[in-house]
Amino acid sequence: MGHLKDKLQELKQFQEDAIIRIQTLGQFNLWRNNEKVDSKQFGRDKAVQLLQYLISNRQRHALHKEKIMDHLWEEGDDRDFKVALHGINKVLEPERPSRTEPSFVIRQGISYQLDLEKIWIDVEALEQYIIIGNEALGEDLTVTKSAYKSAIALYQGVYLPNRIFEDWSSEEREKIQVLILGAYVILAEILLQENPLESIRLAQCAIAIDKTWEDAYRLQMQAYIIKGNRPQAIKAYQKCADVLDQEYGIDPLPATKKLLQEIESI
Amino acid sequence: MTKKTDQTASFMVRFNQIIFEEDGESKVQWRGKVSHIQGGEDQSFSDFNDAVKFIQERLADLTLEATKHKSPEQQDSLLKKSFSLWKTMAKEGPKVIMETIKDPRKQVAHFQDQITDFGEDLMEKVPIDQWRNASRSDFNSIKESISQLADEMKKLNAKVDAINKPVKTTRATKTTKKTIKKTTPPKKK
Repeated sequence: MGHLKDKLQELKQFQEDAIIRIQTLGQFNLWRNNEKVDSKQFGRDKAVQLLQYLISNRQRHALHKEKIMDHLWEEGDDRDFKVALHGINKVLEPERPSRTEPSFVIRQGISYQLDLEKIWIDVEALEQYIIIGNEALGEDLTVTKSAYKSAIALYQGVYLPNRIFEDWSSEEREKIQVLILGAYVILAEILLQENPLESIRLAQCAIAIDKTWEDAYRLQMQAYIIKGNRPQAIKAYQKCADVLDQEYGIDPLPATKKLLQEIESI
Repeated sequence: MTKKTDQTASFMVRFNQIIFEEDGESKVQWRGKVSHIQGGEDQSFSDFNDAVKFIQERLADLTLEATKHKSPEQQDSLLKKSFSLWKTMAKEGPKVIMETIKDPRKQVAHFQDQITDFGEDLMEKVPIDQWRNASRSDFNSIKESISQLADEMKKLNAKVDAINKPVKTTRATKTTKKTIKKTTPPKKK
């Protein structure tokens, strides 16, 4: 399992060393050489949007210019695209000599993509942490815990909150939400005996994202019982039952009901 | 002219599959949430019909908004055309999905009966009686059904495009857990 530990360390180191770092969760920020870049430096909002679009589609290699324009511009032409791209390159590499190829935004013909080996992006790191956490699960809990904690620390809020009405950002937002929901619940489960109060907090974070996430309520019930707080455990069940009834018109799962019975018999 | 963004409605649908044991029997439950991206509203559902209804209501709003300057007759006509796109989806989509979820064996038997109508070569029966409760592959086939439905929607859109001329394309993106459906109703003339 040593390689997972190394990968985790590399990922943490990359966050420290990367020349360009981008935050997309909770709010949008960019740091160049550890200095926060004012969004005015992009020149216009379309340049910011283009960068955010490239981030949202970073795993689809080489995005065709026409496709990008179709998503971002109502009736844009080549010039609009060039201006926006120039805005990004100017922010990422202000000292780049003219007539040299940009090194952060890779161009192949008329396709574009971000160089993820050079740019640190919180959503990409979050996903990588969760992958490491999942791989280490059942093998090395220390690595799992560390990886999930790192992922959770990066989750400062929804993905690109100022673009929630833009459909090109919604897929990434949904993906990250599902990933972080899983991370909250798995870490809460791992920490149940060791730190039940933290389990309660993590489960609450999951419920704040999706109030119908039943696993989170069950974990809260278990954690409260470990803490000897029977009334709160029953209250957590009641909250779960109310939400499920209100949202779906259904009862909690048999496992949740069974847990309630166990709690009531204490 | 109405802007392209005003003519677009995108929806994110999250399906959460829950498999559990009850009374010694394996059961499956689907819980979902459908979100309207441009409007920001969402709704939970355990019945796919509710998700379709949610989508239809948003699309009707979009068509009404885009046709508010037209006469009531024209508006009514456009609304009907817009809804016709959804008739198949609203009627058949949830039915196929829910029936497959409830009883995959029955659905397979139904499909098999349809196939065997085509001739002797296809008479060999699938051993349905030996099948157990819903398996992973059953759920994969449900996902495929959803994907096919999305394709059918595209085709339907294309046909209506051809009839009504200025209509935008439909996009559908799928992953294992979520679906974005983007639909654009007929543009203002």
